[in-house]
Amino acid sequence: MLKRIGALAVTGAVTAAIVAATLGGTASARNNAVAAASINCKKTVTIGVAYPQTGPVATLGANQWNWAKTAMKAWNKNKKNKPKIALLQGDTQLAGTTPQALQVAHQFASNSKIVAVTGPAGSQEMQDTASVWKSASLAPVSGSETRVALTRGTTGTPRETTKGYFFRTVPNDGQQGDNVAAYIHNTLKKNKVEIIDDEEAYSTGLSAQVQADLLKVNAHVTTNHVSQQDTDFSSVIDSIPSGTQVIYIPWQNATQAQQFYTQLHAHGGKEILFGSDGTDVPGTFTGNGSYVSGFPVDFSSTAVKSFAASHGGDPETFGIPSYTSVIVNATAIKTACKAGKGKTTRNAIRKDVPKVQLTTAQSLLGFPVKFLAKNAGKWQGPGDMGGTAAFGIYQIQANGSYKRVG
Amino acid sequence: MHLLLFNIYDQVRSLGWNGAFTLLRDGVVLGSLYSLVALGYTMVYGILKLLNFAHGDVFMVGAFIGFGVLAQLGGPLAPALGLVPLLLVMFAVAMLGSGILGVVIERFAYRPLRNAPRIAPLISALGVVFFLESSVQLITNSTHSEYSTFPVFGPLFTPMFSVAGNPVTVVQVLIVLTAIGLMAALMFLVYRTKLGKAMRATSFDREAASMMGIDTDRVISATFFIGSVLAGAAGVMYGLYLSDTYFFVGFLYGLKAFTAAVVGGIGSIPGAMLGGVLVGVVESFAGGYAGGQWKDIVVFGILILFLLVRPTGLLGSHAIQKV
Repeated sequence: MLKRIGALAVTGAVTAAIVAATLGGTASARNNAVAAASINCKKTVTIGVAYPQTGPVATLGANQWNWAKTAMKAWNKNKKNKPKIALLQGDTQLAGTTPQALQVAHQFASNSKIVAVTGPAGSQEMQDTASVWKSASLAPVSGSETRVALTRGTTGTPRETTKGYFFRTVPNDGQQGDNVAAYIHNTLKKNKVEIIDDEEAYSTGLSAQVQADLLKVNAHVTTNHVSQQDTDFSSVIDSIPSGTQVIYIPWQNATQAQQFYTQLHAHGGKEILFGSDGTDVPGTFTGNGSYVSGFPVDFSSTAVKSFAASHGGDPETFGIPSYTSVIVNATAIKTACKAGKGKTTRNAIRKDVPKVQLTTAQSLLGFPVKFLAKNAGKWQGPGDMGGTAAFGIYQIQANGSYKRVG
Repeated sequence: MHLLLFNIYDQVRSLGWNGAFTLLRDGVVLGSLYSLVALGYTMVYGILKLLNFAHGDVFMVGAFIGFGVLAQLGGPLAPALGLVPLLLVMFAVAMLGSGILGVVIERFAYRPLRNAPRIAPLISALGVVFFLESSVQLITNSTHSEYSTFPVFGPLFTPMFSVAGNPVTVVQVLIVLTAIGLMAALMFLVYRTKLGKAMRATSFDREAASMMGIDTDRVISATFFIGSVLAGAAGVMYGLYLSDTYFFVGFLYGLKAFTAAVVGGIGSIPGAMLGGVLVGVVESFAGGYAGGQWKDIVVFGILILFLLVRPTGLLGSHAIQKV
């Protein structure tokens, strides 16, 4: 009897292994075939946009999608730009887990219409989907992933994406963390800081770096945590040590930051709130006197002004790097199509992404875009933007507008 | 573990009695909100033995209805009415709207499954959760609706009195008193009115109640209406107190209110109130002393503990199963 059970178990395991290998091999082979397939540049080509269409940070996702559409319209409007582009949405949800992002990656990878990718939105999503993109010869260009390790390994931590298969149109957390710590210590001249992370990788990484930077200059730092589902911060506010001058909240959800600000004031708190790029959402995080380190934005640009005018005065700044990402992808497609004389492949487009250079006027970021080919400075690596790319520090004014102060 | 205990000890020492009071105050206020939502869970379970997981989303819809009224009456920055009439209208419309929603949910999602296996309405409840969340998400375009608490409701946030120098604001007192008042009204309704008697009879034995001439369908609809009315009130209070609402808030609040109902003894009205306050206070102390990351672990740890050790909760009673 035992023998029979053993034989059955072995047969089952072998069958499962064969099925898994076959399915995996089939998916991989299909991706390879799609990657090598010829793309007709005379037709409209499609860029996949992976972003949180639903879920707790869908508001940020809406900013990204709105700006991606703006980029598509701007590109298609210019008669010199060929081929014309279309966008296809993929909902990654960005809810702390990544199965949805993986599903989107597989859908995009196997869809021969998709020739380039804007997004995904979260660093963890990119890390967990990197192998899928690579197998499909797609190099996502993200407008919001800021984790350093995506482009540059640090001691004891390997680079999380393969060189040449990931680019971003935002500066990274290394640059952001240094900026924030320096601003708190040198400009605000504050030394008692409470750092509260929201328990996901982006926030804990940024918190750790700012904490380390502040400890180096002998600041007094205390820490606490909230979750992305929290709406009542009473107990966390109650436990903030007396004498705290600045509360740093590098969270992904700007509404949570605004709720925290409101509840802090309702509890009589007078500390300065300091948010990160995740809370850099004018119109949502409007706490008077608070600060955010935000994505660089050229507020003087006509495109930004016109976008804000048509969106109730809200420039939805979180989405601007996604605009830049679509333009980077479209430019790479145009270059590859030209080189291939009307025909190209995903692989050719991918290889052209790092060669893309945008002017300040084209990028809307306030500086030109040019990708690094090797490590630079303390934090940047291949796939990051070089040159003057940096985070801005904004102070929130009484009317809710953001004024750049650093 | 040692480090956690040391941190808790350190935090208890550094916050002192004042800190303990503020945590208790905030916990009781939060718990009062949980209580109101928990009452809905407990009433529906008492009558139908159904875990109406959509109830958290009725609470969320109530918060949005309150915001909608505020927006219709001139918006948060320029309301057309004074503070008290504005609050009364917001509460009345949100409670009525949520009540109607509760009745509609019962009529279309649960009643057709009344005689189906018990898993069927449970699955239907989960379907309603996603339906409501996705509908509100579509209607609001995923945006948060800000009550903009300070400009409009500033007076609510002024201290009403102090305890050892720690202020207790008007809104905090209002939430606790409203929760107590609504629970007292519910107790009166259940134990002192004809409808309440019909509800108790239906809860005891639906078939027998029906044979005695009680319109059990109507009683069940009334139960959903009343439970949802309470959730609507909690939704508006939530918006006023925490300043904002979002399509996702019903999920976690619903689960915590469910925990409160289990802790208090699901099916018991005073139990729901007691469970709500206990869960709120425990959550507040866990967040204040152990850190924000422990709040949910402790709350849901308590849920598991009660289910294992005392499934009838603090004030619940053992049901006799006929065989």
